[in-house]
Amino acid sequence: MSIKRRTVLTGSAAGVVSLTSGLAAPAIAQSDPIRIGYLPALTGPSSSTGVGINRGVQLGIDEINAAGGINGRKLELIVRDTQSEPTKAVNAVAELTQRQKVGVIFGPVNSGEALAATPLIARDKVAMLHPCWVDELIDVKKYPMSFRIAPTNTQVGGGANYYVVDVLKLKKVAVISDTTGYGTASVNTYVPMLKAKGVDVVYQGHVDAANPDLKPDMLRMQSAGAQVVMPWSVNAGFLSRILNTRGAMGWDVPVVGQTTLGSGQTKALLEKPENWNKVYSNNFRNCCYVDGKLPPRAQAFVERLKKSKIEMGDTLLWWIALGWDGAQMMAQTFKAAGTKSDEVVAYWNKIKDWPGVYGTVTWTPEQHNGFPDREVVMCEVNSLKDGAFNLAPGYNS
Amino acid sequence: MFASIVSYGLAVGAVYALIGITYNVMFSASRVFSFTAGMLGMLGGVLGALFITEWGLPTIVGLVLVLACGAVLGIVTEIVTVRPVLKSIDQHLYVLSTLAFALMIQQLTAIWWGTDARPFPRLIPIGPGWLDQQFWLPMLACAVTIVGLELLYRKTLIGRAFLAIAEDAYAARALGLPETGLRMASYALAGMIGALAGFSGAEILLAFFGNQAILNFYGFVPVALGGMGSNRGAVIGGLALGVFQQAANFLVGGIFAAVAVFAVFIVVLLLRPEGLAGAATARRV
Amino acid sequence: MTDATASGPVRVGERSLLGKLEGSVSWILLGLVGLLLPLLDDSYIGVIAQRAYIYWILSAGLNLVVGYAGQIAIGWVSMLTLGAYTTAALTAGTATDPWHPYLALIAGGVIGAAAGVIVGLPALRLRTFYFAMTTLGFATIVTQVALAWKSVTGGGVGTPGPVFPWPFDPGWGFYYFCFILAALATWMTANIASSRFGRALVAIRDAEVAAEASGIAKPRLLIAVFLFAGALGGVAGGLFASLQSYITPDAFTFEISVLFFIAILIGGRGSILGPALGTIILTALPEFAAPLVQWSTFLYAALLLVIVLVIPGGIADLLDYKNRRPLEQHREIVPRPDLLGRVLGGDGRSRGKSTIALRDIELHFGGVRAIDGLDLEVRSGEVHGLIGPNGSGKTTTLNVISGYYRPNAGQMTLDGAELPFALPHARAGYRISRTFQTPRLVGAASVLENVMIGGTVHGHGTFTESILALPRHRRDERHLKAAALQALATVGLESLAQVRADRLQHSELRFIEIARALMLKPAFLLLDEPAAGLSAEEIRRLGNLIKASSREGVGVLLVEHHADLIFDICDRVTVLNLGKTLAAGTPNEIRSHREVVSAYLGA
Repeated sequence: MSIKRRTVLTGSAAGVVSLTSGLAAPAIAQSDPIRIGYLPALTGPSSSTGVGINRGVQLGIDEINAAGGINGRKLELIVRDTQSEPTKAVNAVAELTQRQKVGVIFGPVNSGEALAATPLIARDKVAMLHPCWVDELIDVKKYPMSFRIAPTNTQVGGGANYYVVDVLKLKKVAVISDTTGYGTASVNTYVPMLKAKGVDVVYQGHVDAANPDLKPDMLRMQSAGAQVVMPWSVNAGFLSRILNTRGAMGWDVPVVGQTTLGSGQTKALLEKPENWNKVYSNNFRNCCYVDGKLPPRAQAFVERLKKSKIEMGDTLLWWIALGWDGAQMMAQTFKAAGTKSDEVVAYWNKIKDWPGVYGTVTWTPEQHNGFPDREVVMCEVNSLKDGAFNLAPGYNS
Repeated sequence: MFASIVSYGLAVGAVYALIGITYNVMFSASRVFSFTAGMLGMLGGVLGALFITEWGLPTIVGLVLVLACGAVLGIVTEIVTVRPVLKSIDQHLYVLSTLAFALMIQQLTAIWWGTDARPFPRLIPIGPGWLDQQFWLPMLACAVTIVGLELLYRKTLIGRAFLAIAEDAYAARALGLPETGLRMASYALAGMIGALAGFSGAEILLAFFGNQAILNFYGFVPVALGGMGSNRGAVIGGLALGVFQQAANFLVGGIFAAVAVFAVFIVVLLLRPEGLAGAATARRV
Repeated sequence: MTDATASGPVRVGERSLLGKLEGSVSWILLGLVGLLLPLLDDSYIGVIAQRAYIYWILSAGLNLVVGYAGQIAIGWVSMLTLGAYTTAALTAGTATDPWHPYLALIAGGVIGAAAGVIVGLPALRLRTFYFAMTTLGFATIVTQVALAWKSVTGGGVGTPGPVFPWPFDPGWGFYYFCFILAALATWMTANIASSRFGRALVAIRDAEVAAEASGIAKPRLLIAVFLFAGALGGVAGGLFASLQSYITPDAFTFEISVLFFIAILIGGRGSILGPALGTIILTALPEFAAPLVQWSTFLYAALLLVIVLVIPGGIADLLDYKNRRPLEQHREIVPRPDLLGRVLGGDGRSRGKSTIALRDIELHFGGVRAIDGLDLEVRSGEVHGLIGPNGSGKTTTLNVISGYYRPNAGQMTLDGAELPFALPHARAGYRISRTFQTPRLVGAASVLENVMIGGTVHGHGTFTESILALPRHRRDERHLKAAALQALATVGLESLAQVRADRLQHSELRFIEIARALMLKPAFLLLDEPAAGLSAEEIRRLGNLIKASSREGVGVLLVEHHADLIFDICDRVTVLNLGKTLAAGTPNEIRSHREVVSAYLGA
């Protein structure tokens, strides 16, 4: 099976050109739907966040369309499930920017996909709204059209660190993560932050989430005198093992860390319900109960969810809120500024104190991270009700 | 710490050993290594959680159902992926057919059961600490399996027939032993052992589709090191592997444990391809 | 060799030229589509195509490992990982000063090559399943190291991929870069596949014993192939990193590995076009079947199962209409012993006399004495018959001479110099060739290719020369082909040269094995029951052929049950019983030997 040299007939190229020109997309009429690129991970190993956010996005879009759309045009989500695989995300970006010619892309949610998708979307000059926390995704020089409607990992870690150091007044800390990108990056970022606050980090490590036994690491933390364990992982199995091991060791130490500590999946994997005591996970002030009540914006949102019969028990309120906020932000922008990428970006650069359910967003041309520090808080995981939690004890509201 | 290394290591090791025996039982009957061994272990946990937690069946009914499912899957493995390629065993197509089948089942599990690890019920709520059932259940399952297999092979007619097939399939066929039937029975038995491995170890490993790959590899290491077809080798190798892994976890950390196990695996096999306890086989020309 | 292009060869040569044209139509079409694709101006299709090219660059190399050599390397994604991280890290300058991206890509290929050998080494000693497991384990380890070595790889956060500068800058420039490299990879692997190395790989896969007897040294060849396949995988990795724009360990999933592997098997083992199509299909399919996207791995696996069970030949088999044309029904094998002189090269009388001598050879299998103190001499120009009841040690003796068994005691010499025990692939160097009791042929290869395998040691070009199709490679191929056609004409089967070997009748296979053995220009020819399953007429013709070859100076050792054949053509006969010589002498002496007559010939 040898290969002969290929000869290209010069005439054939012209033929293909005339053929393809007929395939070019017709100009977009004013009544056509506004297309939004959307890259959630709805299947695959880390998809529970994507599924939660997706409920909010779909609800937001449905509500806007039911109310007549934007200037008579419906919103259309072009959804590409990234399946938690970066390769799929790269293919999907090309499809959204080049073939579907969307003006805005929302997502991806997972770090691996977001890191791969962002430079490509920036290269294609499409506006991008990030629900993902990875710090590197926002850089006004490299990616001038990318904006974040969520906190950064640094902010999230800062919120936890603040709680440990300034609220609980603890000085000896153990930081542990799984070996995923999210986990390792978090530890690498948060440990120096803790040290800068004068804390003694007595243990720091990455453990494969598939490792069924965390006792060795927990024992090391304990013998190093840790007063608090800070786990960073989105893996419910991993987090539940930490909590179960803590319970089995009879070690009365607070656990302060990642949001998933409070997820239903983590709860389901606990050996005893008591293992969920003294566990504080990341959350956001707007979505937490204070004295049994949600803040007014969130309360109104929950009514809305209940009316639309959106399931909240198996996910988190802030995930849904984040998706819903994203849809609202895009709709408002289309209405006020237009649907082209540069119109969107120009508008976003001037957003100030935008009142989302999830957070209050402010962007400037120099700062595309829009989430305020003070809204990143910790909550008590064992107070889960309708996807929301009580604000952790100790904050003076 | 020492107690934790030992109890935990032996428990996980017992699961590896059982998966190793699953490999062996299938190998003895057909000279085939099957990627379905890890799949059976994974399903033992998932099906157990499904029957007992989701459907609320009594533990013993759940266990029987899990074993039955294992047996059925074993038979299906034999019929679909092994028998058609046995004729041309030199081409090693069984590696592909069993891999394909195992992947299919794994993907089905991921789609229907989900990709998150789910809890496995506590079967016998006895004491905390190292006496916890999650530690001794796998060891008990391993012991029962070993004793059961010994009795089967030594005391029953069908067990001796198994041995005869394993020893020399040609001669066994010449004696009029129903080779196909015995092979199917062996696969059913292997299916039950694999499912039992997953079931007994699921409190540690959880009901998780990703366990398949882990069990496939760590279940195979004791077989490779102990010599194929040797259940004694699989048990010793499996327990040693579990304890080694656990000790490495304590002493140096998880990533290095994985690298160390792999390195030992490669080096031993390069030096002694037939395994530490195995005998070299003469080649046929 | 000038006279080798006699009547027969020219005819067959023409047909194969036509066959080549038929084969390359698909490639020309694929190439045209690839060249002209940018005219569509759809970057989405461009990205999918780039991905397909990149995956194919890796799969093209893996195809030699899996499809040709039959080594089940499931975890080949590790090469992609290594190449991607090497290229990315060197370009970014996390380990050293920043490299130029093109140099970094070459470094990716080098690291891939090194890793290919490391992964490949166990294949030389381990059984198939073990090897599959070690490749899987290696893939896991590589990912773990990428996670742990944060300063260089960025750990779990990952690292940006390289951006190649002009002329292959992102967009269509990079597209053509991938296209050109994919075309190069195809060309190079096709060169190897159609060389003596490619045939040797297939022989290792399907007829390992025969490959050894033909002097094919499995370790060296496999290492060369692993090196090459690793290099291609590494280069693919560097391109992959650039296409992804950013790499994290979770981009290198087991699913991608399965995709490569299944693409090759769907395409068909021993084909280049099939796996290329398989890779394109599997890369593009999930894009067009979006609703099925979460089922993709399941569907790949199901496809694999169907392929293995129903069409083991894959796409390539479906495209191979040539071999579905019916063969002539009543074929006759008419050997032409007169051609033997040319096949064996030179004048028979000019060759020196030589002798293989066995002294006191003993071989035990456990407690059984298979050979128990045997003396035997095989001399040039003589046919030496070896007879005896089943289990008397005839084939075992032959296996000792050809190096498959290591005797426990005794001496073996060739013209007084020691003939080392147990080095089967070294026998070809002593010009000792053999046939097998059950013909060991590559069923999926053509008769011509099967015979050419026998002449592997006569090639002069290196593996690298074959990759690049340099003159020596082309000369080797020309000579081997001419010699093989000559050998086929000698055994009377040249009309079947282009037919797949597994379509032939049993008797034809026996003669093909003899043709393959003749390719070595043997000084000694060991024949293991060559007459089994032949008709009386065929046995007679076989006898003439054997006799003629001994007249050309070849020393023949003939293990046989057909007493008539033995007594007709042998110059000397040894009768074995229970591993010992029962009698030895001329046919006439043996015929009148009382013990032999009563014990064996049954008078």
